[in-house]
Amino acid sequence: MPTLGRETICTRVHGAVAGLGDAYSSDAKEHSLITEFEVPSEMGNERLVMDRVVDAVADSISGETLERLKTAVSEAAMNAIEHGNKGRSEIPVSVQVLDSDGGIRVRITDHGGGPAQTETDTPDLEAKLAGLQDPRGWGLFLIKNMVDEMHVSNDGELHTIEIVIRSDGHT
Amino acid sequence: MPELSVSMAVRKINNEASAIDIKGDLTAACEDVLMDAYSQATGDQTRALILNFNELEYMNSGGIGLLVTLLVRANRQKQRLSAVGLNDHYQQIFELTRLNEAMDIHDSEDAALAGAGITT
Repeated sequence: MPTLGRETICTRVHGAVAGLGDAYSSDAKEHSLITEFEVPSEMGNERLVMDRVVDAVADSISGETLERLKTAVSEAAMNAIEHGNKGRSEIPVSVQVLDSDGGIRVRITDHGGGPAQTETDTPDLEAKLAGLQDPRGWGLFLIKNMVDEMHVSNDGELHTIEIVIRSDGHT
Repeated sequence: MPELSVSMAVRKINNEASAIDIKGDLTAACEDVLMDAYSQATGDQTRALILNFNELEYMNSGGIGLLVTLLVRANRQKQRLSAVGLNDHYQQIFELTRLNEAMDIHDSEDAALAGAGITT
């Protein structure tokens, strides 16, 4: 999908939270759409999503803040490809990048709606080294620790993760 | 599957230590490459293994998972794993995941060898 250019859209959201299974923040604020696009659900395309988001926000953020956004976006896109769309290339992952009042807001949507995903155990390195947890399973943990806000919505069909990072940065 | 964009060169420093130079992207797709490199780097007397991230371009959660798997293998062999060349961002990720507690982080290969008590 081509870049649409900047236009104003309204975020309609419910319930202010920052965890998996929760909806968007409670504010109904206006955000400027920087770009939106879709990619096929193919392994490795999380890198493509990351690169396109970087291109879109390079004028707004940089340095360590940009690095944190890159990691969060690629992890969210990888979850959407692998778990949401189960790697079915014909089902796209949709991405919106918005200018959000002093920061950047990225929404990544897959077709993994339905019953809410439950959060797995918080990754624990000692447990992983002892064979008590899968060595993988760091994705959501990384996202949460890289961004200022994370919101998840699920309408039964579409599953969207929204991440927010402020340009002044934090962790 | 996407084409792999990683290479791992193994350097034997001496009988006790080896280094793996990781260039490109470290993701779950690199499992075979990393484990092959580990096998090449490991001998009967190897007790220190240095992962050189100077030319790392990208690492995701799958890559972190691979490092955990590598740590398990190294721990079983009583080998000490060190990392050099991590940029600030990946050092932060090592701290978040506590990989920095299981793996020594050094600024240089010499420091990593000294930390492992190995003289060259």
